[in-house]
Amino acid sequence: MTTIGTLILSGLGIYFLGILGVLIFPKKRTSLVLISGGGGSLILMAAGAVSLFSPDIFRTVLWTIPGLGPVTVTVDHLSAFFLIAVSLAAFPASLYAAPRIHGVRSALYLGLLISLAPVVITADVFSFLAAWEIMSIFLYLLINSGKEERPGYLMLALGEAGTLAVLAALLLLAGNTGGLSFHALKVSSMHITPGLQWTVFILSFFGFGVKAGLIPVNFWLPKAYAAAPPSVIPLIAGATLNLGLYGIIRINTDLLPVHSTGMGIVVLVTGAVTALIGILYATIEDDLKTLLAHSSIENAGIMTTALGAGMIFLATGYKGAAAIAFIASFYHLLNHSVYKTLLFIGAGTVEESTGLRSLDRMGGLLKTLQWTGFFMLIGVLSISAIPPFNGFVSEWLTLQSLLRSVELASLGIKIVFVAAGAVLALTAGLTVTCFVRAFSMGFLGMPRTEKPAGIRKAGKAALVSMAFLALISLSLGVLPTYVIPAIDKAVSPLTGINGSTALIPPFFNNAQEGNELPQHFVSDFQTIGAQIGKGTLPGRGLVVMHRGGKKNPVVFAMSTSYLFIMLFILLALTFLIVKFATRHRKTVKRPRWDGGIRNLLPEMTYTATGFAQPVRVIFNTILRPKVVDRREVIIKHFREAIHLKRKEVHLIDKLVLYPLSSASMWTAEKLARMHSGRVNSYAGYALFILILFLVIASFI
Amino acid sequence: MSNWVLKGLQSGVVTTRYPRKEEKAQGISPGFPDIDSQGGDINGREEDVCPTAALYGDSNSLKLDKGRCIHCFRCVRNTGHPVSWTSGFEWASFTEKGTPFPKIFQKSLYIRVVDSGDCGACLNEVKLLNNPLYNMHRLGLFITPTPRQADILLIVGPVTDHMKTALRKTYDAMPEPKRVMAVGSCALTGGIFSSGFTSGSGVSSLIPVDIEIPGCPPPPLAVLHGLLTLAGRTK
Repeated sequence: MTTIGTLILSGLGIYFLGILGVLIFPKKRTSLVLISGGGGSLILMAAGAVSLFSPDIFRTVLWTIPGLGPVTVTVDHLSAFFLIAVSLAAFPASLYAAPRIHGVRSALYLGLLISLAPVVITADVFSFLAAWEIMSIFLYLLINSGKEERPGYLMLALGEAGTLAVLAALLLLAGNTGGLSFHALKVSSMHITPGLQWTVFILSFFGFGVKAGLIPVNFWLPKAYAAAPPSVIPLIAGATLNLGLYGIIRINTDLLPVHSTGMGIVVLVTGAVTALIGILYATIEDDLKTLLAHSSIENAGIMTTALGAGMIFLATGYKGAAAIAFIASFYHLLNHSVYKTLLFIGAGTVEESTGLRSLDRMGGLLKTLQWTGFFMLIGVLSISAIPPFNGFVSEWLTLQSLLRSVELASLGIKIVFVAAGAVLALTAGLTVTCFVRAFSMGFLGMPRTEKPAGIRKAGKAALVSMAFLALISLSLGVLPTYVIPAIDKAVSPLTGINGSTALIPPFFNNAQEGNELPQHFVSDFQTIGAQIGKGTLPGRGLVVMHRGGKKNPVVFAMSTSYLFIMLFILLALTFLIVKFATRHRKTVKRPRWDGGIRNLLPEMTYTATGFAQPVRVIFNTILRPKVVDRREVIIKHFREAIHLKRKEVHLIDKLVLYPLSSASMWTAEKLARMHSGRVNSYAGYALFILILFLVIASFI
Repeated sequence: MSNWVLKGLQSGVVTTRYPRKEEKAQGISPGFPDIDSQGGDINGREEDVCPTAALYGDSNSLKLDKGRCIHCFRCVRNTGHPVSWTSGFEWASFTEKGTPFPKIFQKSLYIRVVDSGDCGACLNEVKLLNNPLYNMHRLGLFITPTPRQADILLIVGPVTDHMKTALRKTYDAMPEPKRVMAVGSCALTGGIFSSGFTSGSGVSSLIPVDIEIPGCPPPPLAVLHGLLTLAGRTK
């Protein structure tokens, strides 16, 4: 398939020309970033789509490096899916970034874009790690080009630790074979010892988990996202998180055979805990961007949970359930890159127009930023999993796939599943709280600061990119039966079965082939209208449905397509009925009821902090805030001054980052004694090293 | 656990039978001077006898403005020509523009109570409507905190300057059909505060009143009678 090669090459070429252009003609950078970033990502998206729907796998060997073996590029269906997911976020992010990006940052931005695609299409250890490193370095440079530098360093340090872990994992895998290509690794991993497999799994899972934002290695993420310059953060948030998950999927489900349930359980539990901790800190967060960053962690957790569920199902032989869980995970990944890009563009627009990031200071923005507010509302509904938007489909699939655990034999695994399901349900509830708060405190009510009065309107580029993403959100939500078969193309090589036939019953054609459901069962659904649209619409049907096994004879079914149509009809009907019933009445408009007070001041209204207070109280055990409550008496017998300060230190910071940093400080302090300043001891060190090398050399 | 069930059974039903039966218990009403039956005159200047000028007119045709009377009994104790006294509580009267609710709204009504600066007496009496003795729920009358659901705006107090905005906003926030009920002499005329430097002279100076209930304070049954009159459920 040369078209795929040509498309990928031309996409990357356009990016590269863009970099050259930006460096040579810095004045024209807006149009250059727009054309090369937008055009390149569209071409790469097309390349992904072509290879996802073609039966063949595009393989090519670029050149051979002496000593390391050939540099191979393979665009299999998994790569194609990730190519689409990354480009889908990169296209609107580039539209948004183009007029906002300045100086050398525009070259760095295009550099990050260039490095994203090779990560998913390279198919040998050397070039994969090279692409991964280039991506990490561009990411670091972009994040550090903001106002604050520390978060970038933190990210770099942790990212490099992650890369080292991944390198170790890949080299351990490659130790058995001669080649470094993924194909050779896959062949050799068929018969590796369980101990080695566990080592590789732990190293790669947590190594890639750094980028994916998994607990306990995600403490860089909220800080880096908050510090990154606003023009590039949609790309970083929408695209790079996916690559961490790509790494996990590539190594742990594709290269390593899924034999034991233990790894699946680790993935499942890590995912569920990540989701809960992520959303918990998002709900109480005041800074809108940090809130979105914490929510990214939560979404990564949901994807990982579904992934873990799929791995367990695959290891225990329930391929159908595994396919559903993997599809849920991939679907959620796609959804997350769409709505998180949308929300970050919205947050960026708000910051740009009003200079505000704190939810406690915002309020009433809907009056001035109508369209931004409207698109943010769509993003918020999507992320809160409200039908008919896209978050609902993937969260529904995730929770349903967890419910399929009833069929498993082992009681222990079932308990883990139930706990993970409960945690995810809690997470879903908190997500709604979190984003109701984010939207209502930001956009509704009264302006809380003077500044929003003199707002600038959102730019056209921001609105176009948000409109694009909102439309994608709605389409992914309304047309799941057309998205699932596409995703299934990437999933079916992992599970070995066709997941879309299991999930989408063929209500649109009566053919019996590939129909897993008995005829009488299908006809029951046809009487309630499951075949509406037959003959006019392509595809198998508009209903997503699967049946539990013998142990749980339950039908899981939903159709956001019909739901959307019904919502539309019911809304129109209600509107018409009300219009008809009140046609003779006159409408009286009165000011809102505010309790009869003279002036409702913004200070009197509910704040974002107040809205999150119940959550803070309920989860006090986890959050454990530092409360400084100091009362001082100004004059005896008179009023006291009360200082109440409350600070939440992130759980992971407390458990991982602080011990880590204090341990390294302690080590450095101890080692500093070596620098005594005496020449004799330095000569002694040199002698010691020399002897050490001689000893090592004598053994080899 | 206390034996409240037993106690409740022992004490039986204490709720008044009003309006189905007449309420004849002692001390349910402070009453008013009985001018009609007596005609009569007052020996002396009115302002000496009646501090709130509820009794007015010349000695041949003495009149009583119930909206000003505070039941001080000075006219009864007037040594020259003591005025006789009546009890009873059915004092509610519509103003010129006041009408009962249309028939469809009569069964159940929601009341929004606004304390526009009263001394606490009227509010206390209104509060008693909810206790077991008067229990206005049995008549389909309910208190609501929000004016959006309210049918009746029940106002006590002379309307102080600080409550004007609140009262106006509450009235505006109520949907049609709505009725305004002024309870107590303060709400009717300004009462003993009259039009002082911080208070107005009653509700009608601000919003149109539909029904007036005199008394300082009017007893709960008078308020209940007023509510039923407003609902069009009294004969």
